[in-house]
Amino acid sequence: MPSSKSLPPKENALFKRILKSYEQKQYKNGLKFAKQILSNPKFQEHGETLAMKGLTLNCLGRKEEAYEHVRRGLRNDLKSHVCWHVYGLLQRSDKKYDEAIKCYRNALKWDKNNIQILRDLSLLQIQMRDLEGYRDTRYQLLMLRPTQRASWIGYAMSFHLLVDYKNALSILDTFLDQQQRLNNFDYEHSEVLLYQNMVIQESGDLKQALKHLKTFSYQIVDKLTYKENIGDLHLRLADWKEAEEIYEELIDRNPENTLYYKKLIEAKRLTSESDIIDFYGKYAEKFPRSMPPKRLPLNYATGEQFRVLVDQYMRKALTKGVPPLFVDLRSLYKDGQKVQIIEELVLGYVQSLEKGNKYSETESSNGPKEPASAILWTYYFLAQHYDYLNQTEKALAYIETAIEHTPTLIELFVTKGRIYKHAGDPVEAYLCLDEAQAMDTADRYINSKCAKYMLRANLLKEAEETCAKFTREGVSAMENLNEMQCMWFQTECALAYQRLGKYGESLKKCHEIDRHFAEIIEDQFDFHTYCLRKMTLRSYMGLLRLEDVLRGHPFYFKAAKCAIEVYIHLFDSPLKDENAEQKLNTENLAPAELKKLKNKQRKAQKKAEQESAQAREAQVKRDQHNKSRQQGDAEADAPQLDELIPDKLARIEDPLEQAIIFLQPLQTLARDRIETHLMAFEVYYRKRKVLLMLQSIKRAHQVDAQHPKLHSCLIRFLRVVKDNQHNYDNAVSEVITTETKTLLSTKDAKTLNKEFLDSHKDSLKAALEVAIVMYQLDNKAQKDALSLVQ
Amino acid sequence: MNIRCAKPEDLMNMQHCNLLCLPENYQMKYYFYHGLSWPQLSYVAEDENGKIVGYVLAKMEEDQEDLKHGHITSLAVKRSHRRLGLAQKLMDQASEAMVECFDAKYVSLHVRKSNRAALNLYKNSLKFETVEIEPKYYADGEDAYSMRRNLSHFSRKKDDQQKAEE
Repeated sequence: MPSSKSLPPKENALFKRILKSYEQKQYKNGLKFAKQILSNPKFQEHGETLAMKGLTLNCLGRKEEAYEHVRRGLRNDLKSHVCWHVYGLLQRSDKKYDEAIKCYRNALKWDKNNIQILRDLSLLQIQMRDLEGYRDTRYQLLMLRPTQRASWIGYAMSFHLLVDYKNALSILDTFLDQQQRLNNFDYEHSEVLLYQNMVIQESGDLKQALKHLKTFSYQIVDKLTYKENIGDLHLRLADWKEAEEIYEELIDRNPENTLYYKKLIEAKRLTSESDIIDFYGKYAEKFPRSMPPKRLPLNYATGEQFRVLVDQYMRKALTKGVPPLFVDLRSLYKDGQKVQIIEELVLGYVQSLEKGNKYSETESSNGPKEPASAILWTYYFLAQHYDYLNQTEKALAYIETAIEHTPTLIELFVTKGRIYKHAGDPVEAYLCLDEAQAMDTADRYINSKCAKYMLRANLLKEAEETCAKFTREGVSAMENLNEMQCMWFQTECALAYQRLGKYGESLKKCHEIDRHFAEIIEDQFDFHTYCLRKMTLRSYMGLLRLEDVLRGHPFYFKAAKCAIEVYIHLFDSPLKDENAEQKLNTENLAPAELKKLKNKQRKAQKKAEQESAQAREAQVKRDQHNKSRQQGDAEADAPQLDELIPDKLARIEDPLEQAIIFLQPLQTLARDRIETHLMAFEVYYRKRKVLLMLQSIKRAHQVDAQHPKLHSCLIRFLRVVKDNQHNYDNAVSEVITTETKTLLSTKDAKTLNKEFLDSHKDSLKAALEVAIVMYQLDNKAQKDALSLVQ
Repeated sequence: MNIRCAKPEDLMNMQHCNLLCLPENYQMKYYFYHGLSWPQLSYVAEDENGKIVGYVLAKMEEDQEDLKHGHITSLAVKRSHRRLGLAQKLMDQASEAMVECFDAKYVSLHVRKSNRAALNLYKNSLKFETVEIEPKYYADGEDAYSMRRNLSHFSRKKDDQQKAEE
């Protein structure tokens, strides 16, 4: 339906030129044409022109004017799909997706078959995971454009996302039928078939999935995915012989894939230690350069057999000089017996090598000698071995011997640093890494490790200077690392600032990391259209699923934990008002001292002002830089995020609410980590939310009922309940009573504390928590409490 | 150590590995672009805990005029995991996939003139040949060697397999 207020031909032509200018990003021209229409008194309130002018202004960064024009346009023409669409686009560019969806829906009321609006709507719906809405919009798009591949695929995927396999598959069938009749076999077709197979597998019909793959095998170009799926399906269907064959082929293709060996063992139904070791032995012969057939049997072998195998394995590596030998074997250290065997062997090597360049004395008369480097790698191994076992002195002794032997090997200094780090001396540790870094300034890995160790020693400035050797010139390292989403660095900074009590700075880093996650979620947007065109649907599905749980990544956990701890700290001890504090301090000063202090403060203030002026200037430059870089980019109208100002962050009014923002993703995505629920308890304890406290305790209890920190939470919970029980309404009281009964043997805090101590006699951490609780319950018990931890 | 094709959930850890090891870094979106355009071409090496210790990020050059060929955007192995031959194994898997899925005739890459360790790997272990020197290719002004490796032996392998299957 055309707008109610159409323009005469001349103005209409101008209006079309505005649209064209917008599409071609010639915004200045667009404004010129808009002016020509609007300057005519008859059309100065023409809705669609005003709206388009607003949209154009938005692209030039003039946001306020943009909103003003778009809203005015809309008021003048509420029945125009253009005005509503434009308003939606404006909201979209501000990332107000829910609002934008409403606008698009209004636009569609006035022009229900507008393809562009339907497409824009579908993108927002999938981005916001409004799956039902997405399905309906995809249906309309299919009806309007039934010849386009993307219409079919998008509609089918919407059902897949809604876990409606039947409909998803029937749409794919219809679509592929047409394709196959056209004999359109290429990479993209192959991807659609593999996607179809993914849906069949997820629907649970494994036999059908297998049949499907075999039927279309000649149309699938991605043979690796094809075989991996066939193998897996045979295995799940217990077709052992067929599975065996496939996994043998897969190993031939990539003998470095450990999973293939494990699946082949499953297919061959090998269970005994000796069978499995023989199996790997044969592959070790067939692929002498491959790692898994030599390394994996060490996981299965025990006792004497293990000794023989690991002996061979280590000798070979020490002779060749493979620095990662220890990291390679480290996962065997879960088994105490294996650790002992390794230790005996390697100590034996040292003894014999020192005497006669042989791994054992019985061989001393025959064969060639080991290279001189063998002893070096043996010392190096032992240093890491003892470090892992927390035997710091032995570890240090071996690393020193190694350094004496070869003072130029960087790895030795890295290990020395790590030993100090594990022993709790971050300063000595970073000094070692600094030495290592100086020996090869062209290696970023060493440089990064050095910066990390500096941060562990709270040396923020030094760390940034170190990193700057590898960041782009012209911007500060801090800024470049933020732009590159370098989360490890930012997390370590946040933790260092936290230790230093610079809470605002710490929060700034945590928020920067959170923004990376927001940005990565935002990144999906372009791929919604792109993948339907490229037909890489399995990966696209993988992307959607990944983005749904993105904040489950350990990087987010670490940053969120830091932020939550800082916010809790700021709640417990808010930053003091600076002026009040100064007054307090100056009252006790002699006049001369007071003068000195004031001078100092003046200087400090001047310096701070200069710095912030510089920072502002830099910000302006950055903005300009960003603008020039983004010119011509469709996202040029992306909203500017608020600047993160440390002092403002630290003086936030509602620290606990802020903590909850970081906490919520953890409660769904890091449920299996007890820290999540312990932190949740700390937040709700302070908010006096008794049921949420209980919920946190219950969840923590499910993860690890014996955790010492949980014990302390339980006691505090009991005290809160006891002190407030008269204030709860009946339903709440009942819930608390029932739930505490299942969690605890008694409601008496002191008894509970004693019970916990008795059942955790050997744990220092438990003793500490018990002591704290003991003192909290009765401050006369101070002496007893102290005696527990002394 | 395990070598396998990269999945979407590996991409963030690949970025982490890249930031630790190399001076050329990219935002996540660029990793997604690779993973969603050519899902078969990127590979990772992981340790027993599933930690990424090396990766190859690869793509196809879809330039119509030129022969179809792949390109290595980035290759890194953590220094703590050197001398296990991981880089070579990663490259071989990626190259084979380029031939299999996209019919690539060769694979190209750029390497810093000063990076002798990498140059040695490409030249001697992987049989890359230098095509030209690209002056000031890197942001800091360093020149790059532009290198290529012919992939016809992988194509033959593919043909043989197809015949065997028929």
